[in-house]
Order: sequence, then structure tokens, then C-alpha cells
Amino acid sequence: VDVTQRDIVVRGTPIQSFSAGGGPPLLFLHGAGGAGRWLPFHERLAARFSVYLPTHPGHGGSPPAEWIEHISDLAFHYLDFLDGQGLERVHLVGSSFGGWIAAEMATMASHRLASLVLIGPVGIKVEGWVYPFLFALELPELVSTVFHDPMQAMALAPRDMSSVDGLAELYRERAALARVSWNPYLYNPLLRRRLGRITAPTLLCWGEHDRVAPLACAQVWAKEIPGATLTTFGASGHLPHVEEPDAVADTVIGFCASRPLTA
Amino acid sequence: VKFYYFHLMPYRMEHDEPSSWVTLSNRNYDPALGHVLYNQYLDQFEHAERLGWDGLCVNEHHQNCYGTMPSPNIMAATLARRTTRARLAVLGNGLPLRENPLRIAEEIAMLDVVSGGRIISGFVRGIGPEYFSTAVNPTHSRDRFLEAADLIVRAWTEDGPFAFDGRFYRYPFVNPWPRPLQRPHPPIWCPSQGSTETVDWAAQRRYPYLMVFTPIKRIAQIYGEYREACERHGYKASRYQLTVNLPIVVAENDDKARRIARENALWVYHVGLRAPLTFWQPPGYLTEASFRRALANRPKLPTELTFEELEDSGYIICGSPATVRDRLRIFADELQAGVVCSGLAAPSHEAALDMMELFAREVMPHFREDAGVDETAGVGR
Repeated sequence: VDVTQRDIVVRGTPIQSFSAGGGPPLLFLHGAGGAGRWLPFHERLAARFSVYLPTHPGHGGSPPAEWIEHISDLAFHYLDFLDGQGLERVHLVGSSFGGWIAAEMATMASHRLASLVLIGPVGIKVEGWVYPFLFALELPELVSTVFHDPMQAMALAPRDMSSVDGLAELYRERAALARVSWNPYLYNPLLRRRLGRITAPTLLCWGEHDRVAPLACAQVWAKEIPGATLTTFGASGHLPHVEEPDAVADTVIGFCASRPLTA
Repeated sequence: VKFYYFHLMPYRMEHDEPSSWVTLSNRNYDPALGHVLYNQYLDQFEHAERLGWDGLCVNEHHQNCYGTMPSPNIMAATLARRTTRARLAVLGNGLPLRENPLRIAEEIAMLDVVSGGRIISGFVRGIGPEYFSTAVNPTHSRDRFLEAADLIVRAWTEDGPFAFDGRFYRYPFVNPWPRPLQRPHPPIWCPSQGSTETVDWAAQRRYPYLMVFTPIKRIAQIYGEYREACERHGYKASRYQLTVNLPIVVAENDDKARRIARENALWVYHVGLRAPLTFWQPPGYLTEASFRRALANRPKLPTELTFEELEDSGYIICGSPATVRDRLRIFADELQAGVVCSGLAAPSHEAALDMMELFAREVMPHFREDAGVDETAGVGR
């Protein structure tokens, strides 16, 4: 499909956004390192949905936004995005950090969501688990923590690690992440008790070899979100939509397509 | 020139771990040995005062074997009672690392009152690894630093109680007892690595600028920028606003000094300061503009430096008394630095005491044209 790249302004905040496909609107929120990556998974979704893939402020081609200092700021930013795009209701899909933002949005405005898909989200505290501190990891460790099959990491490899611009982009992205996730690390202490507010039909997709947020975390999400369905993927780590794009796309399409956009 | 004795209080050990910071397990720390080391280091400080050093410098670092002084104020407290004359320079407290920086205002005021007004208060941000060790968000580092500095100076200078309502720190009642003895407050120093923003901030406030473990060419450049900034702010920098911190090794002859220096410097740079780039560059600690400047002119990692580079580029001074005098002339006469903070790097406690005596006898007296000058008059406040 043809992917359109646009520079837009979301209630005063400039960002880069990609879109493609046709059908009911589906908003995908990327995780760390996923900025501006149109992946085979998105290609599959675009066959059934109008897929929107905006880039978080400070990531990839979106300039940093000084006003964003809490994860809820990003959730409000994407509610503004829906308003700005004239999208009354959407299917909302988020991976990892993007899944955290999506969950925050769902606790605020579940009525805007025809369905919610969280792929290995972070964002809540789970007793007995501390997320590995990814900011401290060197690249090889990072890859082996995030991916089940390290070769799959190539899909998200930084495009340019030699020029000043390329390194500055990576630094800017890590800073944008750190602003909202350094401490408490990768969670919002208020989010978990709010998950019960979510009324949108919710699908949890989880890699069985997830070492960032292991399956024990998935069980907690499934317990806290009323009626949530959990599907696991046997050949994946933290990013199943990267490691098993077809299987995850089949599951997501099956789940979302059966949920009508109009309530 | 004023001489300040500086000690990192290292826990010298060899290891093969990738980092001496953050992750090097504290199971390697033997408290019984630590007891001996702390007391030897404090003895060296007290010896320095007896031998004529003008000041004694302590500093803050966390969770590493490079410097075991997580609370410099505690070390300054022990020195406050065991010395009578020397300035006690805390270089410094890591302002952003504190959740409650009003404690810094209180602790420094206590030290100033106990010591009879001998305290110099350094304000620092803390280096990269410290943001991993303390979990303080590095993207807040600069703003927390500026806000905490403002809070502390106001706490020292304004009659309390008053309310302070900042972005990071909020107090309905700021009213610390005791107040500092020095008026309006103890001199504030700014040990830093030369970022444009910090140079200007310090120059505007007349805070002495301290270059720590920096090649001489870069010191000259930053001193130049600092002097220009002072002129922009309408005054001429005093030489006591330009200070430098570098290790010195002095021995009977150059060969012996170089042998000692090589062994020590290689430990400091290759072991003590060993840490991966990720720890040196926590996200958002630098502005993107500063990050780009740093990339364009990237200094080597400490572990990449050879002893020859360290010596040639002026990270360290070593040699016979005559050689050390010649090298110090560069700092005193060419760079016009008014205060030299240096530790004497010796292979043992006894050797350190001997080296201090040699330095005090053969080097220090040659730089005493300003013996009657108070280096803290009119600077740092």
C-alpha cells in the first residue's frame, strides 16, 4: 500500500504522522525505537483498516515537546490527535511504551475506542517484577532483552549511528522517553487502579519470551481490565508484532474487525 | 597562588568489570579496610593544614570505587573539628540529586557555624552515572540544579520564614536554623565541565569556576569564555574565580615521579573512571545543542587515554620539585589561575605524607606572592 507521510500540528504540537490503507480508522502507538517504522505488521492491518501511525514528540521526525512531562500528557496528546483528525471512534493498538499510552487513553476516554489492543504494554506496577532498566543497557544486551530472535532486531535498528544528526536523534528520543518514564521507571502508579474503568473490548497480545514485561504481567493486565482477552505468541519476545507479524496481525484483525466502529 | 588539598578518597582495587560505577558490586568493599583508608585520608587532610595548605577539598560521588564520599558534608564535619585555619571546600554537593535540597542549606550552615566561617560551598549537578545510582531523572538535572541553587541562596540570605513554590521543590516554610556565619553566605564555587550555559551562570554570580581533570588547552579556552562572560556582566574576573583541579606527583627526580604518576594515573583513568558511554551520557542530561557540541569535539573516554596523553595534555603534573614548579607556572602565570586544588598521588599513606612535605617545602613557597590576600573576598557571592 502507499504510505502517506505528513507533518501535522496537534493542538499546537507539531508531529510527523504516517497513514495508509482504507476502512475503519485504526491508531497505532509505537514503542521505543518504533518511530516512523512502517512494518510488515502495519502493512497487513492496512488491508482492512485506515492505519494511522503518528510519531511521538521527540521521537524520529517529531520535534520534542517541552510541555510533555508525564505519560498522561501523551495520552491527552493522542486524544487531541483524534479530535484533530476528526476521528470520533477508532480501534486503538499500542506496543510496549505505546501500549502504556493507549491504556492511559482508555482509562480516560474508553467511549472513543471501538476496541483496544495492547501488545506487551508496560505502564503498571506488578508485584514481584521490576522492569529491566533499558537505559543502562548496551546495544547487545538491549537486543537480547527485547527480542526472542536477535536477528529480528534488524527491523528496528537505528538507521544512522555515525553522523551527528543520527546520534542526536537517538539522544533526543531517549530523552523524550526518560522525561516520562525514568522514575517511576516505566509505570504510572495511578494507572493500575484505573484499568477497571476501561469499557472497550480489550485484547492483550503477549510474547511468551517477553523479558521486559513477562507473562506474569500479562496475567495482571488480564485481571484488571474487565473482560480482556489474552493471546500469547510462542516465538516472540517483547515485540510479537515485529517477530511474528502475520500471526499477530491475524489475531488483531480478527478481534477488531468483529467490533463495529459505531457503538 | 592558593593551594587547596583535594582528596577523592578512592577505594583502590583492581577488577575486570565493565564499570567501576553503578554496577560494580559493593561486595568488593571491605569495611575494615575502609576504616583504615578513611582515617588515613583524613590524617592527610589534617597534615595538609599543618604544612600550609590554604584549603581542604571534599566532594560527592555515589556507588563506585573511584571516590567513596557519598556525603562530603560528613567529611567536612570531621575536618571542621580537627582543623582550625584551612578553608573547607565542599566541591560540591550534587544539588539535583537531593529530594530535599533545603538539607544542603542546613548542613552547610551548620558546617559554617561550627568551623567559624571556613566553608566554601560547591554546587554541582553530579556526573552521568549518579543519575543511574540515585534514580533522579536526568532530563530534570539542569532545571533542578538552578531551582535548588536559588532556594539555597535565598534560604541563606532572606529572613525566614518564607514560602518557596518551585517546579520541583515546594516549601510552605523556609526558615533554616542555623544561618551561616559568613555574610551574606559562604562562597559558592561551581566545579563544572565547561558547558556554555554553566559558564555564564557562574560568571554572572561571581561564582569561581573550577575545571576538574581537564586538558590544559580546554582549561585555557573555558577560562577565556568565563572572563568574557564576566565582562559581559560588567566586571573583571578576579584570579581567584579561576581555579583548577589536577593531581600532582612530586618526587626527588622526574623519573621517580613519572613512575609513581603512571601507576596512579592509570588506575584513576583506566579503573576508577571506567564506565560505559551509556553511564556517562544519561538521556537529557545535556541539552541537544550541548550534546551536538560534545559529539563534534568528543573528548576521549578516560579508559582511552594513555599516560603520555595525560601528561602531555596537562591532566596531571609530575616531576621533580623544579619540574613541578615549571609546570605550575603555566597555571599560575599563563592561565592566571588563583587556586590550585590538587591531591598528591602517592603509592601509600606514608608516601603521601612524605610527598606532601616535599611539596610544601620545595614547591609551595615559590608561589606565595599573594600570602596576605584573602581569596574569598568579593568572590563566590
